[in-house]
Amino acid sequence: MQANTLRLYLTCIRNTLEAAMCLQNFPCQEVERHNKPEVELKTSPELLLNPVLICRNEAEKCLIETSINSIRISMKVKQADELENILAKKFLRFLSMRAEAFQVLRRKPVQGYDISFLITNYHCEDMHKHKLIDFIVQFMEDIDKEISELKLSVNTRGRLVATEFLKQFI
Amino acid sequence: MMMRAGSFASKSRNCRLSSSSLNRTLHGVVVRKRREGMAYFNRESRALLEILNNLQRAEKQTTIDHSFYEFGLIRYHIQVSPSDPEDIRLSVLTPPLSADASYSNGLPDCTLQDIRRKYSNFAEVIEPPREGFLLTLKLNFARLPRVKDRAKAINDVSSLQAVILSSQLKDILWNLGSKERVHATCKPFKLVYHPQEPFFVSRAPEKITAIFPMCFKDNSDVVLATSFFQELTELGNSTAFSKAPRCTWSPIPPAELRGENFEYLTTNGGFVSVDVFPYHVEGTKGDQTAWILLNFIGYVKYHVKCTRGFVQRRMRQRLETLAEVIQQARIKGYVSNKKLQSRKKGRKLMMGFLKLKKLKKGCSVFTDQIKRLRSRIKIKGFDRLRRNWFRVPRISASKKCSKLD
Repeated sequence: MQANTLRLYLTCIRNTLEAAMCLQNFPCQEVERHNKPEVELKTSPELLLNPVLICRNEAEKCLIETSINSIRISMKVKQADELENILAKKFLRFLSMRAEAFQVLRRKPVQGYDISFLITNYHCEDMHKHKLIDFIVQFMEDIDKEISELKLSVNTRGRLVATEFLKQFI
Repeated sequence: MMMRAGSFASKSRNCRLSSSSLNRTLHGVVVRKRREGMAYFNRESRALLEILNNLQRAEKQTTIDHSFYEFGLIRYHIQVSPSDPEDIRLSVLTPPLSADASYSNGLPDCTLQDIRRKYSNFAEVIEPPREGFLLTLKLNFARLPRVKDRAKAINDVSSLQAVILSSQLKDILWNLGSKERVHATCKPFKLVYHPQEPFFVSRAPEKITAIFPMCFKDNSDVVLATSFFQELTELGNSTAFSKAPRCTWSPIPPAELRGENFEYLTTNGGFVSVDVFPYHVEGTKGDQTAWILLNFIGYVKYHVKCTRGFVQRRMRQRLETLAEVIQQARIKGYVSNKKLQSRKKGRKLMMGFLKLKKLKKGCSVFTDQIKRLRSRIKIKGFDRLRRNWFRVPRISASKKCSKLD
C-alpha cells in the first residue's frame, strides 16, 4: 500500500515537472544586461506561473514553482520519529553543503521545506530534460530509502552493541 | 624526569575495544568480536605496558626514574636502580572513587589483599609507600623463568589501576548497607570515575542498582544513545538474557535519586539503571562487573561516536551515487572522475614536457650567446692573411666583441 502511494506521488511529480520544464532564455525586464532566475527574484509577476503543491501526506510534500526561465522544486521529507528527524537533517545538510556536486541543488532550502533545487534554462540546455527529471525523482526515492536504511542500521547496530554488553555478565 | 603519558593514553581510555578481526556484518554494521575474556575496555595502562616491555627487552642495564600521569589523574612512578636492574619499583597514585572514601591511611586492606594475591609471584608491596603515592610495588620479573610468564606478568601489572578501582568499588558496595539497616534501601552513593560524569550506586536488600545520569553535547548524540538504551532495555528483559542485569532507561530521575543535588538530576540523555544481583559479583565475576560498571558511560559514548562515523560513511557513499546520476544527464556525455583525473595527469605531463623543452631552448640560446661573446672576430680571408704575414695576439674573452658579417 505504502509503495503504491509512493509510486503515485512520484508519478504525479514527474508529470508536473515534465509539463513545467519548458524554460527559455529570458533577460531581466527591470535591469539591463541582467539574466537571473525569475523564480528567485520574482520581479515581474507576468513571468511567473502558479506554484503547484503535491502532498503525499502532511509530512511529505513537494512544491514546484515555475517561471519563464527557471523552476524551483522544494521538498519536505518524511520524519516519522526523532531518529528519522535527526538522520534526515544530517543527510540533507550533508548534501546541501556539497551542492556543487549536483549543480541544480540549492544551498539553502526554501522556508518550510527540507531541500530545494533550482533548474534554470542553462541547465536545460546543458542536460537532457528527461534525465534531469529522472534525477529529481530518483533523488526523492533515494532520500527516503537511505533514511529508512540508516534508521534500520542504527537500530541494528544498537541492538548488537547492547547484546555484546549484556553477554559480558553471562 | 616527568613526562605526560595522558596525551596518547587518554585517547584510548574510552574507546579501547579489544583488537580483533571484524567478523560480523549485518545491514552494513560491523561488530568487533571479543578476543579474550569479557572485558571490552582494556584494563592495561598502555604507557606502563610499553615502559615495562622496553625494560624487559633492553639488553643493556638501564637506569630509569620516570614519573608520569595518565588521563591527567593517575600518577605513576617507576624506578630502576643501576645497582640492581632486576629490582623495579612501581608507585601509583589514583584519586578516590568517592569523596567519602579518603586515602589518608593508605589503600584499604581488602585492596591490598587483592593486590598481594594477584601479584604474589613476582611482586611485593612495600610499606610504607613512596612519598606522595598510595602504593609502591617491588617488581622482580626474574623470578619468572619463562618469557611467556613474564609477558603475562607485565600485562597484569599494567592493569594495576583497574585492580585498585575495581577493588575500591567492591569495597564501597560491600560497606554500603552496613551503616544503615540491612533490610532497607539506603541512600545512593555518588562515585566519580570520570571527573565530570559521576554515577550513583544504591543498595536494596537483594540487589545493588547503579544509576548513570547520561549527558551528551549534541542532540543527535542523545537520539542515537536513546535508541541504544531502548534496545538495551528490551534485550535486558528478554529471556535470552535472564541472567544478565536488568537495565532500565527513563528520561526522568529514578525514585532512588530523590533528594540528590539538582545538577546531577538535569540530564539530556536520561538515566540508565543497572540492577546487579549477588550472583553477578560472586567470586571472580565481581572484578569484572565492577569494571564494566565503571566504564559504562565510556562504552555508550564510544558506541555513539562509532555510529556517527558509520552514518557519515553511508552518506558519503550515497552522495557519490547521486552525483553520478546528474553527471549522466549532461548532453556532452558523462565523464567519470577517474577519466578526468587521468586526463589531468596527461595534461600535466604534457605541460611538464613542454616546459622542459622551453627551458632547453632557453638554455641553448643562452649558451650560444656566451659562445658568441667569447669567440674571436671573424673577417673573411683574414685567417689566410694572418697565417701568411703576421701573427695576431689573442683577444681576451673579457673584451666584448661582436661578430661582423
